[in-house]
Amino acid sequence: MKLSQECTLLQSELRKFAQQVLAEKVDEIEKSCSLPTDNIRRLAEMGIIGAVIPESYGGAALDTMGFTVVLEEISKVCASTAFVIAVHNAFFAYPIVKFGGEELKKKYLPKAASGGIVGGYALTKTNELVPGKTTGEPCLNGKNPFVLNGAANGPIVVSVPTNGTGNTSLYVIQNNTQGCKFNRASRTIGLRSAGIGEYSFENVCPSAADLLGAEGQGRIITDSMNTYARILLAAISLGIAQGAADAAVKYAKERVQFAQPIVNFGMVREMIADMSVNIEASRHLVYEAAMRVDRGEDHRAASAMARLFAGQSATDVTTTAIQVYGGYGYMKDYPAERYFRDAQMLNAICSTPDEDKEIIAKNTI
Amino acid sequence: MEYFFTDEEKTLKEKAHQAAETLARPAHRELDENAEFPMEIVKEMGKQGLLKIFIPKEYGGTGAKVMDMCIACEEVSRVCAGIATAYAVNALGSGPIVLFGSDDQKKKYLPKIATGELLCAFGLTEAQAGSDIANLQTTARKENGHYVLNGVKQFISSGGLSDVYVVLASTDKSRGARGISAFIVEKDTPGFSAGKEENKLGIRASTTTELVFEDCKIPAENLMGREGMGFIYTMRNFDRARPGVGAIALGIAQGAYETTLGFTHQKNLLNNQYVQRAIADMATQVEAARALVYAAARMIDSGAKNFTKEASFAKLYPSDVAVKVTNQAVELLGPYGLLSEYRVEKMLRDAKITQIYEGTNQIQRAQIAIELTREMGTKTRGETK
Repeated sequence: MKLSQECTLLQSELRKFAQQVLAEKVDEIEKSCSLPTDNIRRLAEMGIIGAVIPESYGGAALDTMGFTVVLEEISKVCASTAFVIAVHNAFFAYPIVKFGGEELKKKYLPKAASGGIVGGYALTKTNELVPGKTTGEPCLNGKNPFVLNGAANGPIVVSVPTNGTGNTSLYVIQNNTQGCKFNRASRTIGLRSAGIGEYSFENVCPSAADLLGAEGQGRIITDSMNTYARILLAAISLGIAQGAADAAVKYAKERVQFAQPIVNFGMVREMIADMSVNIEASRHLVYEAAMRVDRGEDHRAASAMARLFAGQSATDVTTTAIQVYGGYGYMKDYPAERYFRDAQMLNAICSTPDEDKEIIAKNTI
Repeated sequence: MEYFFTDEEKTLKEKAHQAAETLARPAHRELDENAEFPMEIVKEMGKQGLLKIFIPKEYGGTGAKVMDMCIACEEVSRVCAGIATAYAVNALGSGPIVLFGSDDQKKKYLPKIATGELLCAFGLTEAQAGSDIANLQTTARKENGHYVLNGVKQFISSGGLSDVYVVLASTDKSRGARGISAFIVEKDTPGFSAGKEENKLGIRASTTTELVFEDCKIPAENLMGREGMGFIYTMRNFDRARPGVGAIALGIAQGAYETTLGFTHQKNLLNNQYVQRAIADMATQVEAARALVYAAARMIDSGAKNFTKEASFAKLYPSDVAVKVTNQAVELLGPYGLLSEYRVEKMLRDAKITQIYEGTNQIQRAQIAIELTREMGTKTRGETK
């Protein structure tokens, strides 16, 4: 697909960065299961961390296509780093930019744009709430094992039940708010360095000043966040699939069995062809969805299609990549198994395949 | 579905189920996390009579039936495929002795393998001999009533932790596959050691290491059968073992399916048609895999002569089902599927090995195609007569 000149430049800049900086550290980061703080700092210095934030608040104001390319390139090498940046933008900065009042914007956006803070998000569907001790004020009691960027020690966007209505409201809270506690890093199959963690909340009652949009608008705002985030997560899936396929092809050209490189064998070539088709089709869907956003067109179905297809392609491609490696693919000395584990993570965060299909069906009929 | 188990098979299934629930269930998550070998569990399974099913009656076993192996492997793997692998390796390792060992070799090893006093393993794969097993570099040189082994085996399940190893080495490189011979090596033999331990995606309770042979001298009587027959012995051993791998895959799929059914029921999701479609597909695929594994096992136990194709069916399909079903399980649990507490992510990691070990699924397909071609040849010759 033909990208704009600006986008192509960004792509080559990030590709270089990924190969020169990220590639060197990815194994160490993976082993330590800790946030890639160095990578985040470097991306902040490059002016990319505030991708979605307007220039007036010091952000990069990248268009969606540009951000897509950035995430794709980073994910080819280190999906955890890409995920941290995607969460920071889609689930933290984006709702503040779109739904936050001027006070909230001034409070958070400049720091989020400079990398001074890395924002998080407590995944709404894993809120395990218990009824609060106080009545009247909207309060949060319970825990959530899926606080994205939870280990980043920054403010987080939380969904709080609005008393009596069954609706929710979204608030930005400081992670050091009274009653708000980071318990531990969650043990997830992949994205082990993305800082996903468990928080517990005890009578966390945010003030009206921290409210995003209007009270009871939680669903509307999360729908908007998810529609945008789907494209970014799809871009990460795409990058993971491409990274895994590239590694598998390289290996297949080098690995000799039966006195020839295994890339000569029909069953291996078929696997390579299948991976390539999946990746190329994903790329078209992801770029199309991104460009729809940038053109101001309806992108609800397009973003769900991109996420669904790129997400499932990534799990298929990474499974195949391990197969190309054979026994070596199963060992942590080689990158295939990490791609495989990381790919799984993208299929449940802002929507599951079933939810994507429901959105697509709704927009088709 | 009804598979018409005999009373003995029903008893075995119940015994394996109990062992899986009481021994494997409480320990499996920690063993996976720490990549720790379930030595006590395998030993206890031996005490409970679950290892003697791999051994013929005349050597302290219950008959070495493939069906019995499949029943037990499925039950253990339903809880943990890592522990199931550590257990099943004893079938793969004892298989060549059962099939091709001399009476002395059988008497010396099989009764102790039956009780779990001796654990055994199978040493075939090397760095340059994965799918291309004829490309073995390990050599065995005959001198003064001994064989001297040199070389490095790779990815050996239960390496370093087993007591007895059946090892393949070349006695005549010029003859390629026909120059490969099989040997029994005991763990304390000088010049024999376990090398690098692998850090794996899944089946982490099953330890995988190199086996290193440095001028390792073994008695000439440790040769199995005849020189040059190692490749054929290996193929025959695999033919019997592959339904067992299918059963391990089946157990993983069954475990993932049960966990998902429980989760979706508890969360009241079973009235959602997306979930209905998914869970129905899972249940159907698991049952189809089971039918295939049992049918292959019954065929082998009935005394069939050539069952290479059917053994490959019974490994290929269940392992693909295991990966599909565990993927679906992770998906249906949503974000919870990604957390180790909910176990299905481990099942997915474990499932992936079943498409790879004991012959990748590409090798299975090639094997099936070779058999089909052979069958066509026989048929054509018959028609032209």
